[in-house]
Amino acid sequence: MSQATLSSGRLRHGLAPWARIAGLAVCALLTLGPVVWTVSTSLRTPAEAFDLPPSLIPANPSTEAYRGVFDQIDVWLLALNSTLVTGLIAAGQMITAGLAGYAFARLEFRFKKPLFGLVLATMMVPLQVTIVPVFLVLKSMSLTDTLLGLIIPAFPTAFGTFLMRQYFLGMPKDLGEAAMLDGAGPWRTFRSVYAPLAAPGLAIVGVLAFNYHWNEFFRPLILETSGQNYTLPLGLVSLQGNLGTGSISVVLAGVVLSMIPAVAVFVVGQRPLREGITSAGVNR
Amino acid sequence: MTNTRIPPARAARPEPSPPPAPRRPPARDRGTRLLATLFLAPTIVGIVVFTVVPIAGSVGLSLFHWNVIDSPSYAGLSAYGEVLGDETVLVSFRNTLVFMVFAVALQLLVALTLALAVNGRMPVWLRSVFRSAFFFPLVLSAASISVVMKYLFNQDFGVINWLLGLVGVAPVPWLTSENAAMATVVLVYVWQQFGFSFLLFVGGLNNIPKEIHEAAALDGATGLRKHLTVTLPLLSPTLLVASVVGIINALQVFEQPYVLTNGGPGDSTRTVVMVIYETAFEQLRFGEASAVGVLLFVLIMAVTALQFRLSRRFVHYQ
Amino acid sequence: MTDSHLTRRALLRYGAYGAGAAALAGTAASWDRLTGADIPGRDDGSLVVATLGPAYGPEAIRTLQEGFAELHPDIKLRINAVQAVDWSDFFAKILTQVAAGTAPDLVYVATEGVQLFAQRLGVALDRWVKRDAAELKEYFADVHPSLVESMMYEGSLYQLPVEFNAADMYFNRQVLTRAGAAFPPADWTRDDFTALLRDMKRTGGARFTPYFWTNRLWGGVVPWLFANDTNLLAESKAPGGQWLWDGFYPAGQRAGRGGGFRWTTPQATHDRVEEVYDYLASLIQDGLCTRPEGGNGQNLIGVFSTGRVGVTPAGGFWAGGLHLAGMERDGFDVQYFPRWRTQRMQYGAAGYALLRTSAMQDEAWEFIKYAARRDTLERLFATNQTTPARRSLLTADRYAKTGPAHWPVFYDTLDRFPDTGPIPAPPQVAEVEQVLLKHTGTALASPRSVRPALRRMQGDLEKAMEREV
Repeated sequence: MSQATLSSGRLRHGLAPWARIAGLAVCALLTLGPVVWTVSTSLRTPAEAFDLPPSLIPANPSTEAYRGVFDQIDVWLLALNSTLVTGLIAAGQMITAGLAGYAFARLEFRFKKPLFGLVLATMMVPLQVTIVPVFLVLKSMSLTDTLLGLIIPAFPTAFGTFLMRQYFLGMPKDLGEAAMLDGAGPWRTFRSVYAPLAAPGLAIVGVLAFNYHWNEFFRPLILETSGQNYTLPLGLVSLQGNLGTGSISVVLAGVVLSMIPAVAVFVVGQRPLREGITSAGVNR
Repeated sequence: MTNTRIPPARAARPEPSPPPAPRRPPARDRGTRLLATLFLAPTIVGIVVFTVVPIAGSVGLSLFHWNVIDSPSYAGLSAYGEVLGDETVLVSFRNTLVFMVFAVALQLLVALTLALAVNGRMPVWLRSVFRSAFFFPLVLSAASISVVMKYLFNQDFGVINWLLGLVGVAPVPWLTSENAAMATVVLVYVWQQFGFSFLLFVGGLNNIPKEIHEAAALDGATGLRKHLTVTLPLLSPTLLVASVVGIINALQVFEQPYVLTNGGPGDSTRTVVMVIYETAFEQLRFGEASAVGVLLFVLIMAVTALQFRLSRRFVHYQ
Repeated sequence: MTDSHLTRRALLRYGAYGAGAAALAGTAASWDRLTGADIPGRDDGSLVVATLGPAYGPEAIRTLQEGFAELHPDIKLRINAVQAVDWSDFFAKILTQVAAGTAPDLVYVATEGVQLFAQRLGVALDRWVKRDAAELKEYFADVHPSLVESMMYEGSLYQLPVEFNAADMYFNRQVLTRAGAAFPPADWTRDDFTALLRDMKRTGGARFTPYFWTNRLWGGVVPWLFANDTNLLAESKAPGGQWLWDGFYPAGQRAGRGGGFRWTTPQATHDRVEEVYDYLASLIQDGLCTRPEGGNGQNLIGVFSTGRVGVTPAGGFWAGGLHLAGMERDGFDVQYFPRWRTQRMQYGAAGYALLRTSAMQDEAWEFIKYAARRDTLERLFATNQTTPARRSLLTADRYAKTGPAHWPVFYDTLDRFPDTGPIPAPPQVAEVEQVLLKHTGTALASPRSVRPALRRMQGDLEKAMEREV
């Protein structure tokens, strides 16, 4: 009898804390496993790359592969281009999404619903369908084979606008109404009441934009032609060598190198990101 | 609509809450409209130039035969007839829907479970480690990580089958059998994507006021039952956002199957966007590719609209 | 509390201003970078050449550029290495440029694309070849006629081949020794091959598979089709081409050459094709071979060099790859593909195609000649990640560092089996390739699935071949 109560009690209380934490630890290991393998393989010689069991800590770690990356491609130019493109896109998206998200959340105007629908609908069209027309539009603006040609079309962001709208909707309405009663116009209400609170939300938009565009491959492949305009993901392709004959360690060293800035941005943006994500997505 | 969570920066300030103004003066309306116009201009202009115009171009293109090299020739709706009669196209739509159902369900389930687990009591640093770990795959490039995954999942030489071999499991044909391949693509996709839903859920859970949990506990609701009856309804708006974004993305999946299986074995993992890419850039049939693109767009719109409709019944706003 | 909060906020604000100002300044400073204005010689009437990024790294491009500038200081040259992972990426890039009217003058095209380019985009080189015949005598004397024929379409020549890779057999010598097997002779047969795989399997342990595929497609099924004296599509020769053969090749080498290959009627349900699939399905069934989908470059080099695979078909490009992967020069070796009904082998070649839209066709021709020169290829292909199309470049010296010991096999494949030919690549090649890939996967799932899958392959191939590209 008491046995039964006990077990049903355990059921109702869920798992014991240590079991929960152990479970989480296993999941975290599974999640990071492929990344760890990638990093450790980049530190091994190609001959040891596919050893089983995979030695997670290489017996004699070698940074040769990393030297190989720097020898074979102009890492600094590629990184500069990637930084310019990704940084400006992230900054631009934070501005456009912040403004448009606010308008959709807090301002009243005609055609609000259809316009918002239009913004959302642009998320639903795969890049592969529109790339040729986009190229033609950019050509008419003389923006093909420039970094600006990658940057400007990426400024409007449906997803970012959606997120920022959720975010502003999550802020109490009475804040702004109080300011208006105090005689503040719509601009000042935005400027002095809501905008200062938007930082965490913008951090999400910025970090996600950075992640996505830092790793972007297809658009740069189609739009950029001169080697001087290549971004990191394009440059890394060289490492694969003719017909896949490049060294696997060098290929993975390239992957790891290109991962570093994205990780750094994530680490820096983590706190506002967490705060931001907490406030978005609660309300419709 | 009310929101119980207070944005962080405001927390220190007490808030006066006067009664809402019933009507605003007209001058302010004009100011609002002007501000709205200015705020929306960058986004709307950008979207019109770089998305709406190209989409219109694609829709127009779906009425033509065009191989890029010669000038397009008008073909009416024949491209639609052709793609709808093409077995590969139909299979790719079925695959994409199957993929979407499993990928989104698994992604939400994993993310929600982990978010609930992380939300429990534990040292702050540990929570932060877990959060970072689960978000991490999102910072990787899908294409390069899929190359790594392709090796890890290799039937004969991969690390995963080796690990399974240690516990006596026979080699699984992860990427080379029709049934397993789709499951593997789903796994790799979910592995990379669940971090985003996870973060949304962590945020959503933080928004649920402690008092509600305490009240529920007083009523004797704990463990799984508490989550089902109390947490989930409160989390439903977050669930809607996560599933809308998840579905829109899943219906456009391309990189993972392209690198992992190239659509095979047979057509078993060929997705709609892969078909669009192959039809356009390998077969030079841009009209037909655009037609498939238009059909996919209609499908995504329909699914999303359905979601919002259903959400009216199931989503609970505080 | 409130104070520190305010301070934090103020700090944040000034921080934001600072960051904003820095960003603006940075943007202004890098404006030239953003608009590409700092790239010398853009849109200045340069001759533009598009090559494949993984095949031509920055170093190779510099080499090409400098060599050409020495020879033709009056022609401005720009080489763009398209960073495509595969042929369809590459083609997507070129097509978009064609659509926008900004196509390059020359495009590096492999056998896969030769006929598509010839039919739709390219210019025949015949008149220039005839004009510069004296200069080109030395080139043609150095290049096997089969390679040249693979660049012809309906009687005209569209490219000068600069590199090729045949499907020879690579062996891991350590695995051979372990199996107690001798290095196979040049005239070995399919049955010798099967017996060798069985020996390897017996002595190889649990995590060993004797035979692996180089890539999912051409390194897989097609070499076996050739060895069994058949092909995916019925193969014939276009008439014409005598202008070239008579002018450059002695009578002995001219025999049987025509105006390029024609691949027409699909024959996937042909008896000999079925035989090949049955054979490969049985190898898989017996654990002598992996499933074809696993094949791909870097993985394979890794598992081969560590002795977890014993045999694999690949061309000269693998010597450099295995060397880069840390394999000793005597750790591996190479032999011809085994004989079945014939010992005809398969290869793929590549060269530069001249586009119709080019306004600088004469200058482009100069580049084509330059790119096929002996000294150019010598500098370009120093690492053995491909096989030069010129016989004279295959020397003991070249392979001294990388191996293999039997390096002459690479070119003798052509000289010893002169009917060795290119992979089947009609203008509809992309779809043919996709159909082959798709149904090979299902066909080899089990011995029973061969016939139904081949029937479906036949149907799809017929549909693909009917289509005007």
